[in-house]
Amino acid sequence: MYYIVMQMVGEFEYLILSSAARLGTNAYGASIRSEIEKATGRRCSIGALYTTLDRLEVKGFVRTWMGEPTSERGGRSKRLVQVTATGVKEASHFFRAIARISKGVSWTENRLTTR
Amino acid sequence: MDRKSTDDSITSRMSWPIVLWLSGFLDQPEQEAVLGDLTEDGKNGGGAIAEVLGLVVRRRTAVLLDLRLWLAVAFVILPVSYLLCAIAQTTAGMGAVYSWMYLNNWDWALARNPGFWHALGEIAVSFGITCFVLACWSWSAGFLIGRLPKVIVRASRNILIVLLAAAFQLDAPGHIIHFLISLHGLPLRPSLPDYNAPVTGNVFYRAFFPWISLAILVILPAFSGIRQANRSLLLTLKMRVVLVSAAAGSLLIMLIHAPGFGLLLGAPQRDWLWRNRNAMQALLLLSCWPMFYFIAIRFGRRGLPKAVMTQ
Repeated sequence: MYYIVMQMVGEFEYLILSSAARLGTNAYGASIRSEIEKATGRRCSIGALYTTLDRLEVKGFVRTWMGEPTSERGGRSKRLVQVTATGVKEASHFFRAIARISKGVSWTENRLTTR
Repeated sequence: MDRKSTDDSITSRMSWPIVLWLSGFLDQPEQEAVLGDLTEDGKNGGGAIAEVLGLVVRRRTAVLLDLRLWLAVAFVILPVSYLLCAIAQTTAGMGAVYSWMYLNNWDWALARNPGFWHALGEIAVSFGITCFVLACWSWSAGFLIGRLPKVIVRASRNILIVLLAAAFQLDAPGHIIHFLISLHGLPLRPSLPDYNAPVTGNVFYRAFFPWISLAILVILPAFSGIRQANRSLLLTLKMRVVLVSAAAGSLLIMLIHAPGFGLLLGAPQRDWLWRNRNAMQALLLLSCWPMFYFIAIRFGRRGLPKAVMTQ
């Protein structure tokens, strides 16, 4: 019998991976924060974002690098983000798990009946 | 411009220097990214301060969750800080007495006596060597700490300073020697009159001189050792192993010379140390290896063999 220790991405990590994948080449700190705040309706702190980005990079789910400075940022560079193939695989695994486990639960059924 | 926007503008002008100062605690690339994000978002005032402060606190506290830091504290920093404190206390005490004798009680009549200068010369050389060896031990301790994993070096350095200051202030070496004496079942030393009362009665020698000695002979050399450990990354792996071994060996020699070390040994080992005390004194020369390191570095700027340099 094999014991498999599953270390799934966390929910905040998933939000970052999804935002970065959606934004594509325009994925960086401020844009990812903006996407998350629009989707969740809650504030996303810079501290939480950058520490989680570091964690994702250590796990190999994203790759980050410093981009060119721009005038709208006061001549400062941005930290660009790209989701790796491993990150895509883990994010889709998380999404499928959430979709499977959410089948038949009351809040998904209520959503369907109120339409 | 209405009152609210005037207030906002004033708040943002006052808060941005605080934001810049706080962001200085971050690594340079991250500082740039965070300040750029705040500029792009148009965030200012208390909100911007809260954002940067939150990230700084997360970064600084993340290292406290690293097991390697606590292993380093238990096996390196705690014992090293105790040893350095014990020797620094003894050295500072000696320095205070000599300074009081020759500076506070200078007598021109004595200065005409050749014997006075002979004694002064002997004391100056002996005390100078004691201070130099303590500085070398502090440097070796800093070098070892600087060779720890990079993420925990800054926290290790800060913990070293805190432990040194605490041990100094609370007289930890005195209490531990007292404990070891009672553990051995030995009679405690009867309380005697303080023969150095004229020295300890002087507030400068009692309150300030020990801390000045700690800063000059321990903390500054330790910081230098940490910095040099970082620069030693330019050397080959073999050379780095040699340097780390030299630092570790130097700290073992410091352990042998620390006050109260004999209480950790059995009678045969104490006897052996006493019979070989001259050899133990000669080991102090090995403790001065940082001096040879700096000389080698100086020559290295004129071209070291490629066997020791990686760049």
